[in-house]
Amino acid sequence: MRKPNEIDFWRGFALITIFINHIPGNFIERFSYRNISLSDSAELFVLLAGWSMRLMIENPKRPLTSGGVVYRLWGRAVTLYIAQTFITEIAIFILAAASIWLDAPFLLDWHNAGAVFHEPIEAHIGLVLLTHQLGYFNILPLYVVLMVAAPVIALIYRTFPQLLLPLSLGLYVLTLAFGINFPSWPIEGTWFFSPTAWQLIYVIGFLLAGKTTDVGAFARRHVRILRWIAVPIVLAGVAIASTRYFPDLADLPKSGRFFVIFDKTFMSPDRLIHMLALCALFAGAYTSLHAWMPRFASFLALLGRNALNVFCAGSLLSLCAQIVRYMYGGRIVTDVILFAGGVAIMALVAWISEWHSRSQKEQGALAPALPSPFRSS
Amino acid sequence: MEPAQPAQPPSGSGQTAPALSPQCEVPATDLAAPAPLPNLTKALDEHRVINILSVGSPASAALGGASGVKSFPVQVTDILEAALKGVNVEITNRGVDGEVAETAADQIRSEAAIKKPDLVLWQLGTNDALARIGPGEFTDVVKGTIEWLRENQIDVVLVGLQYTSRFAKDENYNAIRDALLQIATDEKVLYIRRYDAMRYIAQTRANLHLMASDNFHLSDLGTQCMAEHIARAMIASLFVKRFRPSPN
Repeated sequence: MRKPNEIDFWRGFALITIFINHIPGNFIERFSYRNISLSDSAELFVLLAGWSMRLMIENPKRPLTSGGVVYRLWGRAVTLYIAQTFITEIAIFILAAASIWLDAPFLLDWHNAGAVFHEPIEAHIGLVLLTHQLGYFNILPLYVVLMVAAPVIALIYRTFPQLLLPLSLGLYVLTLAFGINFPSWPIEGTWFFSPTAWQLIYVIGFLLAGKTTDVGAFARRHVRILRWIAVPIVLAGVAIASTRYFPDLADLPKSGRFFVIFDKTFMSPDRLIHMLALCALFAGAYTSLHAWMPRFASFLALLGRNALNVFCAGSLLSLCAQIVRYMYGGRIVTDVILFAGGVAIMALVAWISEWHSRSQKEQGALAPALPSPFRSS
Repeated sequence: MEPAQPAQPPSGSGQTAPALSPQCEVPATDLAAPAPLPNLTKALDEHRVINILSVGSPASAALGGASGVKSFPVQVTDILEAALKGVNVEITNRGVDGEVAETAADQIRSEAAIKKPDLVLWQLGTNDALARIGPGEFTDVVKGTIEWLRENQIDVVLVGLQYTSRFAKDENYNAIRDALLQIATDEKVLYIRRYDAMRYIAQTRANLHLMASDNFHLSDLGTQCMAEHIARAMIASLFVKRFRPSPN
């Protein structure tokens, strides 16, 4: 297993934050950073996903051909799709089983699941096509789309690296201007996360991962000044989020309202800028955090190294926690136990995942190695 | 189940609210106290299409039943258009099953910026009660949203928790119901007391079933009554605004 690093640490942090944020009303949620922030763990998660994609395709020890890039990234997209359909089906099972066990039919309506039980034919088509998503189970569909598009991002970057950011930014602006989003069905509406908007932060994550090139190199060269710029942005975020301020519509320009509202679906620019400000402010903080709290840093990195499995477990655990809160009420002690238990299980999932990977590697080391058709020679 | 009777359009000059179907009949005191809807009134005066944004849970009430019954937003639209002759009503449904008020509040702000509705129809409370959201937290979120809507010249109609004997004694269910009544009183907004209306029907007409066999989801009749109650309360409020002097 790779050593604890900054990316895995922050990914682990995002995973725990997502777990907490997905249990509405719980006591621990009050300490979630989204209460004092314009952006939240979703932006962090997607930015780090783009960052990881860069590391995946640009591993100097295992350079990939273009075909290899497509194979690896689409393979990852299939894995994500399977994970999404699997956890969605388990979530439906949890809701259905709990509704019978607790004689609580309202659970069948939770998190947009109602259509699955009331219009099963249409809903199941929607589940497979990702046009029907359960509430809180809607970030992996975004990730699937981004990963399907990832080879295009990677190949544009390999061919015309200077074009990637302008193209991505252009698509984002078009999305905001015209409200572009994927439709949901059978429930009328749109996706919770607009993929054509959120691709921008994914691409930015991809470019920031470049240590000696691109935006990443620029950011590293000017990190001190970027931090000074970030400070007032982050402070403004604290003021706006803690007071739940939202501008009057009359104060906004008549055209292009998308450009100024605090909108998660379209990742409005304020959220994007805030996320980048957080990056500037906390970039490199991992070194100090690891020195100060090595066990804690290693723990979060453990979660982050096994992000997909831990995310899936966390999503299902947050749903279970909501049901427990219904049963036992929203007391502080219940919430603390649920938080501690949930994080412990997420850690167990991470540990089992690593143990499984180690076992497979050991078995692989004993087997004769086959040449990969996608490795660059 | 008895065949559904459509709500009667107002007679004569259209200055009375439509009658409720016999099955859905409830005393006005158990339905809603009229409250001003100034922005809806203004839209009517300007002969504009009325834009309504419907948010909140349960969205499944918006799907329509398997028996072919019209969905709840369509029923509200039909009743409003019949009662307000010559007026076109467009309802955008953005309800999400199981969502709590805080999620809906974020959605209202975003959707309001895009759709610029005259009125937001917000079903709320049931999921917050069952997700064990505290009444204080619930009140803060709802009041903040109502005040923001008011500042932006958008009316709001709150549609409260449904009645089911299952939760008649549930502590948090009743706490959220009390909080909602207090919010509506403080903010002077139209509040459809669905709980009281449904309880009245359940207690006076035991042969009518507003709920499906699971005693939680609305039956076709329950959906129809919900639509009728909302539309009637809205129209009654419009008439109050138009024909009574404003308290201001």
